[in-house]
Amino acid sequence: MLINDSAKLATAALSSQRMRSFLTALGIAVGIASVVLLTSIGEGIHKFVLSEFTQFGTNLIAVSPGKTTTAGISGAIISNVRPLSIDDALALGRSPKILGVVPFVQGNAPVEFGKHSRRTYVFGVGSQVPTVWQMKVGMGRFLPDDDPRTARAFAVLGSTVKDELLGSVNPLGRRIRIGGERYRVIGVMESKGQMLGFDLDDAVYIPTQRALAMFDRESLMEIDMIYGGDSNVDDIVKNVKALLMDRHGAEDFTITTQEQMLDVLGSVLNILTLAVGALGGISLLVGGVGILTIMTISVNERRAEIGLLRAIGAGRGQILSLFIGEAVVLSSIGGLAGLMIGAGGAWLLGAVVPALPTHTPWLYVVLAEILAALIGLMAGVLPAHRAANLDPIEALRAE
Amino acid sequence: MKSGDVIQFSWKALSGYPTRTLLMILAMAIGVASVILLTALGEGARRFVTDEFTSLGTYLLIVLPGRSETTGGPPPLLGETPRDLTLEDALSLIRSSSIRRMAPITVGSAPVSWKHRDREVTVLGSTAELFEIRHLSMAQGRFIPAGDPSRGLAVCVMGYKLKKELFGNQSPLGEWVRIGDRRFRVIGVLAKKGQSLGLDMGDVVVVPVASAQALFNTSALFRILLQANGREAIPKAKKAVLATIRERHEGEDDVTVITQDALLSTFDRILVAMTLSVAGIAAISLSVAGILIMNVMLIAVSQRTTEIGLLKAIGARGTHILWLFLAESAILSLIGAGFGLILAFLGNWGLGHAFPKLSITAPIWALAAAVSVALLTGLVFGVLPARRAARLDPVQALSRR
Repeated sequence: MLINDSAKLATAALSSQRMRSFLTALGIAVGIASVVLLTSIGEGIHKFVLSEFTQFGTNLIAVSPGKTTTAGISGAIISNVRPLSIDDALALGRSPKILGVVPFVQGNAPVEFGKHSRRTYVFGVGSQVPTVWQMKVGMGRFLPDDDPRTARAFAVLGSTVKDELLGSVNPLGRRIRIGGERYRVIGVMESKGQMLGFDLDDAVYIPTQRALAMFDRESLMEIDMIYGGDSNVDDIVKNVKALLMDRHGAEDFTITTQEQMLDVLGSVLNILTLAVGALGGISLLVGGVGILTIMTISVNERRAEIGLLRAIGAGRGQILSLFIGEAVVLSSIGGLAGLMIGAGGAWLLGAVVPALPTHTPWLYVVLAEILAALIGLMAGVLPAHRAANLDPIEALRAE
Repeated sequence: MKSGDVIQFSWKALSGYPTRTLLMILAMAIGVASVILLTALGEGARRFVTDEFTSLGTYLLIVLPGRSETTGGPPPLLGETPRDLTLEDALSLIRSSSIRRMAPITVGSAPVSWKHRDREVTVLGSTAELFEIRHLSMAQGRFIPAGDPSRGLAVCVMGYKLKKELFGNQSPLGEWVRIGDRRFRVIGVLAKKGQSLGLDMGDVVVVPVASAQALFNTSALFRILLQANGREAIPKAKKAVLATIRERHEGEDDVTVITQDALLSTFDRILVAMTLSVAGIAAISLSVAGILIMNVMLIAVSQRTTEIGLLKAIGARGTHILWLFLAESAILSLIGAGFGLILAFLGNWGLGHAFPKLSITAPIWALAAAVSVALLTGLVFGVLPARRAARLDPVQALSRR
């Protein structure tokens, strides 16, 4: 039998039982659609979270005090006996291939302007925030490049603080009080929006040394560095480590690279996508059982036909491939329909609920389609085997 | 027709085709089992988190320094403020009648060394009451003694992991260890408790709060843990804390008070939502099983045309036929659900052995919901074939053969 003929026979068999074929394909379609839709949502969230994290740039290295072996907040960030100092940050800034350094400390303090007061986050930072954190100044300028040990009392406001505190007043040059001390506003940051529920605009930026004094601290919470895109991370980490070991005498700090963080995050999110896809796969499994059932019934019904085919000389292999082909075609059609429903649903969901990011990963889509065909193949094998093993005489007598 | 007859008739029809019946039951069972298993997993996770929170202590209030204006956002976790939350603030809180116990906490990190061994661990500065509030238990020795909290004794209590790393199998009691640049005598070892919400209580050293403040050269507290007198006293305690601190801080509201209940209910909500959505996703497979039932029943109707015609000819009405076929799909889905239940229980049992920490039992509502959804899908998807059977014209149906 030619392949062409087999295909014709299979499609004829399927189209003669339209309702039945439609329902069987529908079962597979629902399964594939749920897999595609769920992985689309998972992948969309993956992309969204990664972009949230990479908005600060990808070539970042952070040094925090205290040697931690496990993830999580170390007590060393709050207080420690071996502080990470501004001098450390300065020394790191002088080392090769480091393009910018931000010594960082954060806290919570009231900011007052006239009669208005607002409690907000206070970030003690250096002058290089715009390069290192990739943030833009919306109005005025960022903190000047003063000697960090004797920085002038200038402040830069986040856009939420500016709106809440000063309203429509031009903020530049105004005097405000932060934690009781007087500062002059020299700039307002561009709005950055929320990141994972954390309002980045509800903050004021002041020089690190002044923040340390305000919070009565010795140690920085973190030193953030940015390096050139063409340099090797491992070399830079090694340099930073050697330099700090020289200065401290022991390894009492932790170095985290953005790459590591993204790797960890990426693998967690991948597992999530996979798990959600697997949940959708349960439906696919049930759809496979559906094909198995229907094919079994159809082999039973078409005993006479099979007997005739065998009587006029069709081999067992041909009968086998005929029925398997039918099952595969059925599930592939269902798979294609499911793909369209799933991808369309994902697109629609993304359009209707913009807060829920969706992204259809084409690799998964292709995998799902192959999976559908495979399920058809496996579900087809048993009934097809039964059909092929029919005794032609017995089969013909059935009618 | 009597209902007994209906069931018997349907049963005969089903057992006439064992393969297809078994396959349909299998499909339904997979759906029901996955719904129940996933709900059980979600419930297990929820219960685990709830237990974790209760093991933190009961009727707990946590006072953090600092406050952010936007409600609903994350609290200021690192808590550096221009005005510190001091030990005196903490001591003034205990005067409220609705507060039973109070433990101030400072946190830091410092190397702990004994002889040649050295390990960087989290140092917790607190008082004797922490023991009661956090439900700690001792493996060896005793906890930090009660006494004037502003006096810093040179004693410390170790977590079991730290003890193992520094002392191995030796008894550490009575030994002097160096924490930072100070010496402390070990008076106890905490019993193994495992991770509790991020802070590994095995890898810490607990010292009196005044000693920790001296060690880190700070007068600030990181947290104050309070235990209220009872569940009803919690809101009152919260109000009392805010009022007291405001008075002490010259009219400024610069602390955040978190109650354990609020934290717990937030987590609870998130986990319940997760469980429901996961179960919902699994329930899609039930609808696929429903489609299969419909498909097979349609085939059955066309195969049994003569039989239906005969039934009608001897006086069965359309509704009778309808009920016959509906009963068939209902029986199918019920048996499927039954097997699904068995499968789910087996799965639960296996999972319970694989993760002894999670107590995995499906809640009753999930069982009931899964079975009734299975029955419902069977009935809904059975309607179309049953109606087709009921509408058959007896003359034509009989004349076919």
